[in-house]
Amino acid sequence: MHASEPSDGQLIERVASGDKRAFEELHRRYARAVLGLALRRLGDRGRAEDASQEAFVAIWRSARTYDPSRGSGAPWLYAVVRNAITDGLRRTPNPVAELEDQPGGEPDPSEEAEASWTAWRVHRALEVLPEHERPVVEMGYWRGLSQSEIALQLGIPLGTVKTRTRSALARLADALEGELR
Amino acid sequence: MSERRPNFDDLVGTDLEAGERARLLRVHELLIQAGPPPELGADATVVALRPRRRRVALAGLAAALGVGLFATGAIVGNRGGPGTFAVVTMTGTAYTTGLNASLTIFDVDDAGNWPMELEVEGLEPSPDRRPFELWLTRKGKLAALCGSFLAEADGRTVVPLNAPYRLKDFDGWVVVVEGSESPLLTT
Repeated sequence: MHASEPSDGQLIERVASGDKRAFEELHRRYARAVLGLALRRLGDRGRAEDASQEAFVAIWRSARTYDPSRGSGAPWLYAVVRNAITDGLRRTPNPVAELEDQPGGEPDPSEEAEASWTAWRVHRALEVLPEHERPVVEMGYWRGLSQSEIALQLGIPLGTVKTRTRSALARLADALEGELR
Repeated sequence: MSERRPNFDDLVGTDLEAGERARLLRVHELLIQAGPPPELGADATVVALRPRRRRVALAGLAAALGVGLFATGAIVGNRGGPGTFAVVTMTGTAYTTGLNASLTIFDVDDAGNWPMELEVEGLEPSPDRRPFELWLTRKGKLAALCGSFLAEADGRTVVPLNAPYRLKDFDGWVVVVEGSESPLLTT
């Protein structure tokens, strides 16, 4: 994130005063993270889309409750979104999704919560990557391609793949630094 | 989605200063823990990020893109408005009649990337939920991946994609299902 850009907390405060542009910026930053959290929780894309919309409505409505003295914006957003998704789950229970909370092969609730929080922060941070860096991260981490395969697919030299990957990780480290405090 | 764990040293090299290495290694671990974002997951597309729909006029493009680009004439788009570089039409093959698509190419950005919007009609989700991929082709072969997407259940899908390449190095586009080289849509 550039230093000149408003923080999440500043955007939430602006949303609280009815600033639609600030809301749009929050949406841009968090659309992926919100949908990812909803998918993780609900396990169904259609319901996750609905839950994502409800989550952003909840952000709009709840922005006045944000207190910057109690922490940065990301944890507040995460809590509001998580609650909105949980409320939606209660309204329209899904037997498949409910299995998540049952003992067995699934992680325990604290592990699941930590994993969700990690994914939330990381997926949000991906928004800082420029268009030419994001593909090398996606291909390297989530499509299982080697650096050589990435170079071949993108039609760029292997050294460029490494340079872009290193640069992307550095950007992500910068973006995640504040969130990890 | 691949189960292969990426190797940190392969990704960034071994010549990093210790502090920076530790910092990037932490991010590396977080990326693995987080898993893919929703548009890359098995059950997701990024509907929330879907761009605005826009229709643009069609006209000849080959000259605008340079010699050898899409000489088949399959590209019929041209500048359709501010920010739009071209529009490419794609059609189904003999085995996928009924499919068609429109690929809007927006003006190249400062980094040399071509933002695009692919609008597909008639393409239903693959039975095993594998994503579809848009590729640039050269001499009839898949040459450069421009992005992947999942189809909407109603057969109409609109997705933002990106081509970080010199377009004149290629001669067409195709849409395939991930892992296959058989085109479903071609220019």
